[in-house]
Amino acid sequence: MSALCGCALALLGCGVDSERTPAGAEGQEPHIMLQKPLPPGGTGAQIEAAATAPEDGQWIRPAKDFASSRFSGLNEINTSNVAQLKPAWTFPTGVLRGQEAAPIVVGHMMYVVTAYPNLLYAFDLSKPGASLKWMYNPKPLTSSQGEACCDVVNRGASYADGKIIYATLDNNVVAVDAESGKEVWRTKVGDINKGETMTMAPLIVKDRVLVGNSGGEMGVRGWLKGLDLKTGAVKWTAMHTGPDSVVLIGQSFKPFYKKDQGADLGVKSWPGTTWQIGGGGVWGWISYDPALDLVFYGSSNPGPWNPEQRPGDNKWTSTFFARHPETGEAIWAYQINPHDLHDYDGVNESILLDIPWNGSKRGILVHPDRNGYMYALDRATGEVLYAKPYVHITSSDSVDLKTGELALNPTKEPKLGKTVRDVCPAAPGGKDWQPSSFSPRTGLMYVPHQNLCMDEQPTAVSYISGTPYVGMDVRMKPGIGGNRGFVTGWNPVTGSVVWRIAEPFPVWSGTLATAGDVVFYGTMEGWFKAVDARTGTLLWKYKTTSGIIGQPVAYRGPDGKEYVAVMSGVGGWSGAIVAGGLDPRDSSAALGFVGAMRDLPRVTPKGGTLYVFSLR
Amino acid sequence: MCSRFADRAVRAGTAVIAIAALAACPRERRTFHDSPPAASVAAESAKSVRSDSGVSREGPYGDNAYALYQGKTLFAAFNCMGCHSHGGGGMGPPLMDSAWIYGYEPANIYATIANGRPNGMPSFKNRITPQQIWELVAYVRSMSGQGSKAARTSRNDEMEVRAAESQTTTEKPVLVTPPPTVNPPAQEGHP
Amino acid sequence: MAGALLACAGCSLHNTQNALDASGPQSQRIEGLWWLFLPIAAVVWVIVIAVMLWGAARKRSPREGMETRGGAEVVVRDEARDRRMTRIVAGGVIVTVVILFLMLVADFRVGQALTMAPGTQAVPIKVTGHQFWWEVQYPDSVPNKTVITANEIHIPVGVPVVMELTSLDVIHSFWVPSLTGKKDLLPGYRRSLWFRADTPGVYRGQCAEYCGLEHAKMSVLVIAQKPQDFEAWRAAQLDSATTPSDSLALRGKTVFMGTTCVMCHSISGTSAAATAGPDLTHVGSRRMIAANTLPNTDANLYAWISDPQRIKPGVLMPATKLDPRDMQALVAYLRHLK
Repeated sequence: MSALCGCALALLGCGVDSERTPAGAEGQEPHIMLQKPLPPGGTGAQIEAAATAPEDGQWIRPAKDFASSRFSGLNEINTSNVAQLKPAWTFPTGVLRGQEAAPIVVGHMMYVVTAYPNLLYAFDLSKPGASLKWMYNPKPLTSSQGEACCDVVNRGASYADGKIIYATLDNNVVAVDAESGKEVWRTKVGDINKGETMTMAPLIVKDRVLVGNSGGEMGVRGWLKGLDLKTGAVKWTAMHTGPDSVVLIGQSFKPFYKKDQGADLGVKSWPGTTWQIGGGGVWGWISYDPALDLVFYGSSNPGPWNPEQRPGDNKWTSTFFARHPETGEAIWAYQINPHDLHDYDGVNESILLDIPWNGSKRGILVHPDRNGYMYALDRATGEVLYAKPYVHITSSDSVDLKTGELALNPTKEPKLGKTVRDVCPAAPGGKDWQPSSFSPRTGLMYVPHQNLCMDEQPTAVSYISGTPYVGMDVRMKPGIGGNRGFVTGWNPVTGSVVWRIAEPFPVWSGTLATAGDVVFYGTMEGWFKAVDARTGTLLWKYKTTSGIIGQPVAYRGPDGKEYVAVMSGVGGWSGAIVAGGLDPRDSSAALGFVGAMRDLPRVTPKGGTLYVFSLR
Repeated sequence: MCSRFADRAVRAGTAVIAIAALAACPRERRTFHDSPPAASVAAESAKSVRSDSGVSREGPYGDNAYALYQGKTLFAAFNCMGCHSHGGGGMGPPLMDSAWIYGYEPANIYATIANGRPNGMPSFKNRITPQQIWELVAYVRSMSGQGSKAARTSRNDEMEVRAAESQTTTEKPVLVTPPPTVNPPAQEGHP
Repeated sequence: MAGALLACAGCSLHNTQNALDASGPQSQRIEGLWWLFLPIAAVVWVIVIAVMLWGAARKRSPREGMETRGGAEVVVRDEARDRRMTRIVAGGVIVTVVILFLMLVADFRVGQALTMAPGTQAVPIKVTGHQFWWEVQYPDSVPNKTVITANEIHIPVGVPVVMELTSLDVIHSFWVPSLTGKKDLLPGYRRSLWFRADTPGVYRGQCAEYCGLEHAKMSVLVIAQKPQDFEAWRAAQLDSATTPSDSLALRGKTVFMGTTCVMCHSISGTSAAATAGPDLTHVGSRRMIAANTLPNTDANLYAWISDPQRIKPGVLMPATKLDPRDMQALVAYLRHLK
């Protein structure tokens, strides 16, 4: 009898999750946890000198410099006066989907790319009110909206050689004259009928425009292409599955770890011909080391999410690559998540730093991966110096530094017919695309990220061209502590948390670090915040009209004043419930994110406004 | 004694006949060679359905349990789940709520599936048969509680992410025009 | 490869679905148990029926065993006869218990032998039950040497085979009577079954757990071949489908990719990679189609694809209405997929 009652009570507890009010909910100030005080003089980490440049007041690419530091050398706005920051001007773009782009500033002009339909707005900052100079509409295909897994976002444009260059959702790379707004060249590089789209911000290195595709959830074949800067012609294509010849793996390829060595692993590590629909797109961030002439980036998850349909390591998905930008040939690679089980893409940013290591200076890149580990890799060889958790992890136990292997937790491996619970981090990972910044003054990385776990259950899925190829029911939920987001001040030398701010919602915006020792970020409720770079203390906040998932930038206006600009407009994968008008009663909606974000529609509406702030 | 026996026999016989009659109810009918209305209805325009289109209020299968079950199987097999999840939406709009962009009558939903729609719904006309489309129409409507409650599918044998279709309260469907994502911008070029 | 198989059909290949024609140690044990139980049960049955008939036929006077004492009818007990009857009944019970116990021990030992893991290196095969077909995979330590096929399982003679059984919808049961006993395929569970074929042959099996409308037509063929023939078959299965050179089959491929087929079926080497229906990469070389319901001839393929519901009403595969020339082209393409 008592057993029956116990069973009944257990049944009442299981099933669809009820809403939980997370810690730090509306009205409460988020909790800061100061773990260790910052050593005076900073951590000793520096941005790689060759990959950055002295501050010139511009912001010509989303990552600021080739090292991806997102650090502004301007210090007019600093800890003592940031509390006086207020809006200088705003611009409603008229596009009401997730705005992930970084506004870029070249000379006296500012350029911003919106979500679909990927309008490019150009503002003349020297005119009063920063008037709109021109607008360019690439007219992407309307049906491309049905191929984007995670809202119809765009992460921004880059400037080079008098042109503003960006990618459209329907797989066109366009170059627009920065002065006149006329299209200079347009190159179609993908096909929406195969499920391909593009959302990433291109990186322009010397005379190459580097672009990659999205579609790991659509069964695409992932690639990175190098286009000619002048003409837009495709000079090389590196696939991420298939034989070595198409992955551009040749004589110079020297992976550091044995597990990544061997011929044609992009075929052998897949059953049959499933590598042809295996994913491995490049929709995230690329960094460049001019000293070694190497670009660094990671490839996306393998398809489908259901791992039982693709036994094997599934190379070269979820793999970190180093290539020469001129030819695309691979120099080294490290597969971070072999046979990925939980949609841990490898596409997150890597910041190029020089750190003191065992008594000497070591050139590394620091990469916060989706799997919850912060990786420090040697830039020249791909050796893993450390891989330390920056969130709570149950999906794996550790990374073996000798073999480079990730020790997976077998109890969290999804199997057909079984539900796996409490997999941490959830599918968006410890951190998703939202980029970190670094301050050479403190030597800290400022990492915006989330704190989510999930239950998941695989289902058998068919590949039907142009439709999703996922095969997994996911239900996400807040991680330990109940707060769904963090901003973490990370010491890249010791690999540890210095301070951490708990936010009620995932922090899906990028961070900006400035020489005024202020770090800026936005929240999904719509707050744009400034915190002290050393301690994380909140110094200023401003409520914009919609959640912020964009990348903040700082620039010097024609009048010599410092300005901070950010796009406000909720959406992206985390904000899909608002941007897409989804139904909260289905916790598997938006690939499981709705289960963790049911309260978002109550705190923010859709939006699409550019905000620019200054003192006085 | 004899009359009591006869009495019982009559009652038993009536019960048997009643059960046999109920077994012929439409909920349990299974037709494997069906030719439901297809081409003419699929030619309907997006937003309205003619009253003489020959399709009943609930569509050909709205009250048929077997067809609803088939529709649910096909909803997963043809990757509808990939964009619409279990009705909550994702890449595509939700199907379990009361808001319908392109029409909520069975004929409208048939046209949506067969012809596709702008903004990303693919066309399945040549890829699945008319009978399969009607089964999907019936299932999609059942996600928001339309159609016969007794015939609806029940709880999945897997992780429960939403209440079962048979437990869904019926929502009155409403036609909505999605808010424009772009206010028609000023003509391209210099404002 | 298909040619070799069809040629073999002419030789004296063992072709059977018969639990009493055991071709492997598992079914031999089960058959042995059958032959033990049958005579015992038959003899017992004969004795019981004989005694019952004798009891019914024996004449008895109405007053047997009764006497008149003091004016009333009284049952008289014959002590000796009573003791004799008691001993007979007790003896019968003891004999029954002993026989049943012996049968229990025999059954237990057979059960043990059936589930003990095979000692030597076994061929792993994964079988997944669907309504109403069998998905078959041969996993390999090198992932791109994994073979995926359906409904027809090839095994090497004399080598044990370990099957991992599961189902993606309802409970099915795998039963090849000449080779092994039944084992259920349960959704959400993985169960293993091992067996061995000792003679080359074609062994037919059935789904042995009611799984829906077409449960009766969900059969499986297990083809036991000499080890080198098995390896050759397995290597051939790894080849992707080639583009046909003859125009009719080429047109058939276009038809396949443009109609309902691609929504459910996969052909390695093409863009068709759906999993709702059987893999068709080598369908041309299979002996039968529709889960071994029809021989694999052009006429049967035509009939099956045009209207599967006429042959197996209730399967998930819909009728495909095509122009007759397109249908012929489609059949030619499938024939090309050897």
